[in-house]
Amino acid sequence: MPILNILMFIVSPIFAWIIHNYLTHGDMSGKRKVFFLGLYVVLMNALVFGVSYIRGVKGLSFADMTMSYKLKYIGLGCVLGFIVPFPICLLMEDKITVGGLKRYTKKFTGDFKRFIPYAIRSAKSDLNAEVRGSLLDWLWWMIEPLCTMLIYAVMFGLVFKASEDYFPAFIFIGITMWSFFSRSVSGAVNMVRANKHIITKVYMPKYILLLSKMFVNWFKMMVSFGVTVCLMIVLKVPFNISVIYFVPIMLALFMFTFGVGCIMMHYGVYVNDLSYITGIVLNMLMYLTGTFYNVEKRVPAPFGEILNQCNPVAFLIKSMRDSLLYGMAPNWGMLGIWCFISCILIALGAFTVYHNENAYVKVI
Amino acid sequence: MDKHVSLSVNDVCINYRILNNISVRKSFLRKKTKDEIFEAVKHVSFELEEGEILGIIGKNGSGKSTLLKCLAGVFSPNSGEVDLHGHSVSLMALGVGFKDALSGRENIILSGMLLGFSEAEINEKMDEIIDFAEIGSFIDKPVRTYSSGMHSKLAFAITAMLETDIMLVDEVLSVGDEKFKKKSMAKMKELISDDKRTVVIVSHSIETLKSFCDRVLWIHDGEMKMLGEPGKVLNEYIEFMK
Repeated sequence: MPILNILMFIVSPIFAWIIHNYLTHGDMSGKRKVFFLGLYVVLMNALVFGVSYIRGVKGLSFADMTMSYKLKYIGLGCVLGFIVPFPICLLMEDKITVGGLKRYTKKFTGDFKRFIPYAIRSAKSDLNAEVRGSLLDWLWWMIEPLCTMLIYAVMFGLVFKASEDYFPAFIFIGITMWSFFSRSVSGAVNMVRANKHIITKVYMPKYILLLSKMFVNWFKMMVSFGVTVCLMIVLKVPFNISVIYFVPIMLALFMFTFGVGCIMMHYGVYVNDLSYITGIVLNMLMYLTGTFYNVEKRVPAPFGEILNQCNPVAFLIKSMRDSLLYGMAPNWGMLGIWCFISCILIALGAFTVYHNENAYVKVI
Repeated sequence: MDKHVSLSVNDVCINYRILNNISVRKSFLRKKTKDEIFEAVKHVSFELEEGEILGIIGKNGSGKSTLLKCLAGVFSPNSGEVDLHGHSVSLMALGVGFKDALSGRENIILSGMLLGFSEAEINEKMDEIIDFAEIGSFIDKPVRTYSSGMHSKLAFAITAMLETDIMLVDEVLSVGDEKFKKKSMAKMKELISDDKRTVVIVSHSIETLKSFCDRVLWIHDGEMKMLGEPGKVLNEYIEFMK
């Protein structure tokens, strides 16, 4: 696999460089871009090699490396590539400063407190409007995921002979959590445009629009989880105290979705056809997330595990199934890491939105 | 008697960066394009005292509405500053932002909350607003079913009834039929006569400005042309437009 050998050394610097470019809002001059690309090639490879040296790999011989090792090497590179540009930017670019970070954080918490009642009220109104006048009213929020679950359960259970313990509940949890994520993210892309009338008349931080939409999806997800509980009783899933892990897992999912949503919302304003791309990517991710099958079991050996750890939604869905159905605690370390990364994503997203929201009103 | 300054605008410039929307295909093919910058408002400064009424006049596209939006905080100026001295502000403009799928009542609450009122305060004023807007039973129907007249009447009623310290009025004094027009004029006069309230009116109607304003600002191509007594400025403006 010569391509993989080359990728091992290229992916992480390029990833780091893209993040750096993002942090400087794409305002770097050509010379600087080349300089930083060079810097990251040296720095990232040194770092990743250093880490694996400490872990006990003393030399690089491609023949000895397994596929799994190479992929983990790249994965490590990407995680480091995400983190390293932050200190570099703080040191080298005067655009991003500690003072600025403090100012934005203060603004964020202030605005959050002031506008959160609006977001909640708006979500309530939207929910009311959605079901008013329809025959089955709010029952739709249960019927829709329930039917999807039935379809998948029949298709995969009977036709493809995929089976897990408590299969219907297994699928139902996957679908519920996934649809929260994908609806929120795909909604975020067109969010600013869709609310054009409101934001050209009065000021609000634009991520409040996203939050309000997420509250709507959140509520629907909670209704679905109510159905899950009924399903668990019907399937006679033994009650286990580990159901309380529901709370931290949900929190992590919300934070991650909000972070990703903010970033997508920003690009959705400028890039017209982003919604098509998000649609395709989300569709692909749905299959990589294991909404209706067990990723670890079904995907061949090294990939399944890697997928489960590097795809946060897959990880969260798996943890949720473990805690609700199989009485196991989530992997706290991984959960912590994903919460931390979500916080960085939220900061990145929210501050990007703040930095650019002046321009949104003028572009749309 | 000392006067309190309620709104100061200091050397404000507003640029429109003409950053065309890009598609993904274009972004691959595109070389680094230069952003064109269009200056909509250039170095405008003035100060308003509490209770003062300022009229803004100028030909189409001279930056009046942009300036007003900037005062309302919809976007902040590129340079210079706008200081509201802690007053609340509302912008009254045509086609106010409603959520189409929601009923008029829900929209009143949401718009009010964005203007900084609590839900309880809005509920108190709710009946007044509905009465004033004269849209009867439509208030509980989705806004998308409204006629354009009802739309603007409701918008006017919300901003007129939820009284803020500074009101920015953008060409809304000619809303609805003759009867509503009279009513809104009367309401406007009542609001304006409150000597705590500061008002900025953008209009093309010389009559309106003459009867309401204490001072008139004439903007031409984003620059301040004149600021002063209504009679004097408006005469110059009429001369200029001939």
